[in-house]
Amino acid sequence: MLKNEKVKVIPCSGMGKVYGLMAREATLHAVRHLCPQHAETMCLAYVVTGDNEIKESMKDSTFITIDGCPLMCSAKSVAAMGGDIQGEFKVLDVMKEHRGVRPGTATELTPEGWKVVEEIGGIISGRVQQIREERR
Amino acid sequence: MSKKYAVLPCNGLDKCAGQMSKEIALLVCEQGASELICPVFYQVTDARYDKIAKENPLLVIDGCASRFASKLVAAKNLKIDRKLMVTEEAQKRGIQLGLEPLRLSEKEVDLCKVFVAELLKEDVDAPIAATGTSLTYPVPEDYIVYTKDKFIFRIPKAGFYFTESDCWVQLCGNLARIGVTDFVQHSLSDIMFFTPPVLDMDVEQFGEVGVIESGKAVYELVCPVSGKVKAVNNELLTAPELINQNPYEQGWIAEIELSNFSEEQDFLLTPDEYLKVLEKKVADFHVKK
Repeated sequence: MLKNEKVKVIPCSGMGKVYGLMAREATLHAVRHLCPQHAETMCLAYVVTGDNEIKESMKDSTFITIDGCPLMCSAKSVAAMGGDIQGEFKVLDVMKEHRGVRPGTATELTPEGWKVVEEIGGIISGRVQQIREERR
Repeated sequence: MSKKYAVLPCNGLDKCAGQMSKEIALLVCEQGASELICPVFYQVTDARYDKIAKENPLLVIDGCASRFASKLVAAKNLKIDRKLMVTEEAQKRGIQLGLEPLRLSEKEVDLCKVFVAELLKEDVDAPIAATGTSLTYPVPEDYIVYTKDKFIFRIPKAGFYFTESDCWVQLCGNLARIGVTDFVQHSLSDIMFFTPPVLDMDVEQFGEVGVIESGKAVYELVCPVSGKVKAVNNELLTAPELINQNPYEQGWIAEIELSNFSEEQDFLLTPDEYLKVLEKKVADFHVKK
């Protein structure tokens, strides 16, 4: 059993693209509304600093990463810092199921975009639930 | 005949999906000439399996989202040819795999057989030339580089011709590869879908030869040359982002057997000529923004 019970959900920074914004919003939707008791988020920029405090807190944690695009910055960064990744998701994979949907821009989502964000939040939350069951 | 793989399953002894991973690996090996790699042994030493892993297409089978087999491959710096994640594939069929049973029932074994049939069937169905002929195209060594804001546009300096619609052609004897330029991939941003041209179809110069699509737009590929489609880059079907990553190499679209290049060359642009077209397009694009 891992000491740190809450699953860490880490979105990419994705500042320049709508898919990055969706990754961040989906993470917040999951950790604030869908499974606040069992998941929390951390800042990816903080994770990659390599600072001792963050390294120590990562040791006993389980991670889910959510990336906007195929560059997979979050998954790669968390893996590089030695994080135990138990779920890797990519916004683009979900968007492929919604061909033609215009999710918005890097700074503002459309109502369609928010719907997809909620769906991704559900996927993250589902994985959090699975991880909890696997721990039992 | 089935493709010969180096098969690397995970070692998930304590989960149903892990047991299935090993079962699938065994079935693949039994039904073809594939060779099995023990992940535990390979983890501790390269000697036994390195040659097999490097000289054969690598099939990686992960049981669960921990993806230990994939991580092992990444640590060994190997290229994955095919990948199967048992839990995900089961979920796609509406089946939730739990921790148990560890000893597989008929139901789980049947599911393994379905996965194996799909893995091997795709190999049989795949047209031989679908992922490229045996020709080796020279890698562009030098580029004209044009930068605007955060965007970098590269144009290979030698061996390529271009169209005003931002496609390129690279000749190799009587065959040629075609693709799109950096302008297209930057304009579309993350490319999500690739619709390839049909193998052996005849295409006219400036005729449509496939479609790529991102969240922003759909782009019909304009063929710079006439001829017959002899191969398509099937890797783009599962990884269209290769066009974004490198449109001049891994992101090539199709291979054409040329029918009339000597005459058609007059309608194509040299790298310097295309640079002028590109500069104007980029300027117009920024004005419109």
